Amino acid sequence: MRAGPDIRALVAGLAVLALGGVLLLDALGPIDLTFAVIAPVASAAAGAILVANGLSR
Amino acid sequence: MSTLRRDRSHGWLGGVCAGIARRYGVDPALVRLAFVIATAAGGAGIALYLLGWLVIPAGDAPGRRRLPTGRGAVEVALGTGLLLLSILLTFRGLGIWFSDAIVWPLVLIASGAALIWRGSAAVRPEPAPEVGVPGASANRPVETPAPVVSVEPRRTAAAVSRTGVGIALVIAAGFAFLQATGALDAARDVGLALIATVVVLGVIFAPWVLRLLRSLTEERSERIRSQERAEVAAHLHDSVLQTLALVQRSDDPQQVAALARRQERELRAWLAGRPAPGQAARLAPALEAAAADVEDNHGVPVEVVVVGDRELDPAVEAVVAAAREAMTNAAKFGGRSTVDVYAECTPGALRVFVRDRGPGFDPAAVPADRRGVRESIVGRMERHGGRARISGAPAGGTEVELVLESER
Repeated sequence: MRAGPDIRALVAGLAVLALGGVLLLDALGPIDLTFAVIAPVASAAAGAILVANGLSR
Repeated sequence: MSTLRRDRSHGWLGGVCAGIARRYGVDPALVRLAFVIATAAGGAGIALYLLGWLVIPAGDAPGRRRLPTGRGAVEVALGTGLLLLSILLTFRGLGIWFSDAIVWPLVLIASGAALIWRGSAAVRPEPAPEVGVPGASANRPVETPAPVVSVEPRRTAAAVSRTGVGIALVIAAGFAFLQATGALDAARDVGLALIATVVVLGVIFAPWVLRLLRSLTEERSERIRSQERAEVAAHLHDSVLQTLALVQRSDDPQQVAALARRQERELRAWLAGRPAPGQAARLAPALEAAAADVEDNHGVPVEVVVVGDRELDPAVEAVVAAAREAMTNAAKFGGRSTVDVYAECTPGALRVFVRDRGPGFDPAAVPADRRGVRESIVGRMERHGGRARISGAPAGGTEVELVLESER
């Protein structure tokens, strides 16, 4: 029997992927990474991880 | 997503927020806060809510998740807050924004209001009628109405802390708004004038206000004590006094010893706060057990018909105790006729009828020192939010009707 995915790890991984994507876009040039951009992205990533963690307890 | 339903019974408007909270096991206040903030950030909350109202069907969601508690609840709350913050910052960055002077204070007020709301719900005391003795069949001791503080101090302390943080957030929102609009100096002058007025009025009216508060507290305490006395009296009447009456009438030493042993077991269980030996957990078996007891004690047949059933709670236990007392009265004074008990349990109400074919009696003519009808039936039902009616049965005799409406 297959175990279900670990929601906490899944959400954390996706959040790190999103952050990595933003950093990559900044390095390649399409976006200019300022506080106005990084603040909502970081908040969303941290929030998603916390919510997933809290709901998984 | 198949179990996502709007929860209209717990909702404020269409039950969208309550339904989402119910489905995902989060606090409804958080979901409402999210919609309020999304509304403040450009009106998206209203559109999303209307969309949810249209798309999500109404009804009870079968797959309700348990609300997280402790650290899990804190994490969910913090995480939701951060997600909302990211949405706000995104809207602000995109220019979909009212004004910093409006949105940020509004966010603080909404967050503070949610915390205050949760805190007030957690420390709300139990209603007074629930703290007494449920009745003879319940066989429980009198419990002094203890405030939540003494029962769950940690939970209450957490609720008080939440309320304190909520109040601080609301005050901070007010300061932020005044600062942003340049009205802080004027507000300070008004605040000082207001404080001076309150102090003056407080000094003048404090004695009356304190006296009024003390009087209300004493009145409430006296009401609770009075209810407890009435419940204890009803219990003793239905148990010990009835047994003593049976003992006086009995010529058989073995039967007297058996009655005494049974009464002792019941009394010990009641004093220890335990359920009585063999006590049923549902209405139908509890009524049948009460009827069997009355049959054994008085040698009069008691026919019981129960339509529907439900679990016993203090109010239903009181109905069973009142019905038992009515059966006892019918067996004692009903001319040895069969006692008929009919109980009907519907979602809206519980009705119990106890009839005999005896000579009947006038309830108003019962002496004041006789407590059976007055306290054990009528008083007990009223203390638990129900009512009792005693009248002549259509075929002669007496009919006692006990009604307990369900809370909506």
